[in-house]
Amino acid sequence: MSSEKSFAAGSPAPGPVPKDQVRLYSMRFCPFAQRTRLVLHAKGIKFETINIHLKQKPDWFLEKNPDGLVPTIETPAGEVVNESVITSEFLDEVYPEKKLLPATPFGKAQQKMMLEHFSKITPHLFKISSARRKGDDVSGLEAELKEKFTSLNEYLVKRKTKFFGGDTITFIDYMMWPFFERLGMFEVQHCLDHTPELKKWTERMLEDPTVKNTMFDMDTYKAFYKSVAEGKPNYDFGL
Amino acid sequence: MATEKCFAKGSPAPGPVPKGQLRLYSMRFCPFAQRTRLVLNAKGIKYDTINIDLKEKPEWFLEKNPLGLVPALETSAGEVIYESPITCEYLDEVYPEKKLLPSSPFGKAQQRMLLEHFSKVIPYFYKIPSARRKGEDVSKQEVELKEKFAKLNEHLEKKKTKFFEGDTITMIDYMMWPFFERIEVSELQHCLDHTPELKKWTERMLEDPTVKNTMFDMDTYKAFYKSVAEGKPNYDFGL
Repeated sequence: MSSEKSFAAGSPAPGPVPKDQVRLYSMRFCPFAQRTRLVLHAKGIKFETINIHLKQKPDWFLEKNPDGLVPTIETPAGEVVNESVITSEFLDEVYPEKKLLPATPFGKAQQKMMLEHFSKITPHLFKISSARRKGDDVSGLEAELKEKFTSLNEYLVKRKTKFFGGDTITFIDYMMWPFFERLGMFEVQHCLDHTPELKKWTERMLEDPTVKNTMFDMDTYKAFYKSVAEGKPNYDFGL
Repeated sequence: MATEKCFAKGSPAPGPVPKGQLRLYSMRFCPFAQRTRLVLNAKGIKYDTINIDLKEKPEWFLEKNPLGLVPALETSAGEVIYESPITCEYLDEVYPEKKLLPSSPFGKAQQRMLLEHFSKVIPYFYKIPSARRKGEDVSKQEVELKEKFAKLNEHLEKKKTKFFEGDTITMIDYMMWPFFERIEVSELQHCLDHTPELKKWTERMLEDPTVKNTMFDMDTYKAFYKSVAEGKPNYDFGL
């Protein structure tokens, strides 16, 4: 399974997942799937990827996961797990090396509460992008986004840590990162102008080998999202 | 802290949580807070409750929990946990007696995926009654809700179990229950007409001692929700 090209409707079903690895159903540019890719890489888990054509999903994929969304993980035992956060937690629980979630129940709860706060930020990025394409005024939405970035900044200022869960990268940093990687593509990098700690966090994340292993450059993202805006997503761009 | 009456703005802050104890910030009729109450009761955890006036939240409560939502837990170490699923997972991890989540990572993932699906059902319990009150046509939304109930029914049919993840009650049953408890008040019981397994599940849940311990009767809910519709929620109804 070495091709990165996406599998569309009519493609042959892949065989069972080989015994010593997990399989990730993904799409190269999807920020949610990137969360799972970050966890897989950070923990050194052996995995193979099947990219899915999200506009023409293969029937065999919909049979495994009726929601048809990526990321989805499949184990050699045929267990299917979907939803980016659920797959990430699952992997952290199954593979004990390099734990990304804290060991204590309260530590885990803190990371989940942060993630819940963050989940209110991601829709803004998509809304701003979509509004801009339509030529609407985005100043109100951008002001709201800046406020949310300010509370993230304050969190880092209070805790005086390099990352959101301490001085090393943990689960929550990887869950948040894919959206920050795409700020340039959403044309909202300037919303970080007054949040220096948050900006520094993005710079530290960019130095992480795992992040470097999973990211794409701004030009690739721009080209991909242009193809999405034009109604013909090119999931295989660059291949 | 023996009173069940809700604490409003201007009320004195409660003291710290005594050593070895747990405090729940709640509102007697809140379905989300009921999830946490179900878990606390099912696991036999000792706790005190402080009910919050959700229209006039005390400043001391907003300091502990900036979002000001219930349910929220506070430990004697001053740790504050909020968001109903996060509080429930936290309790199941800290208190080992009567585990509600399975021990396997895949078992946990299955519960979390089902909860994610159910989170898309919850808005209907609010949207439909609200639209009805405004005199709007709810037939399309009722059809959508019936489809979602049909999927839940299928899950039970396929698994052939009495509850959603086995023949005994587990976490997911308690996470879903509070909304079904209010189905009559929401005037949506007819949406269960073609989902016999789901209906039987509600009957089994009504026999559970923990459910009986946390529920209110239909008349109480009707009176409370009437007061909400009139813009003056009576959080202390019945006290």
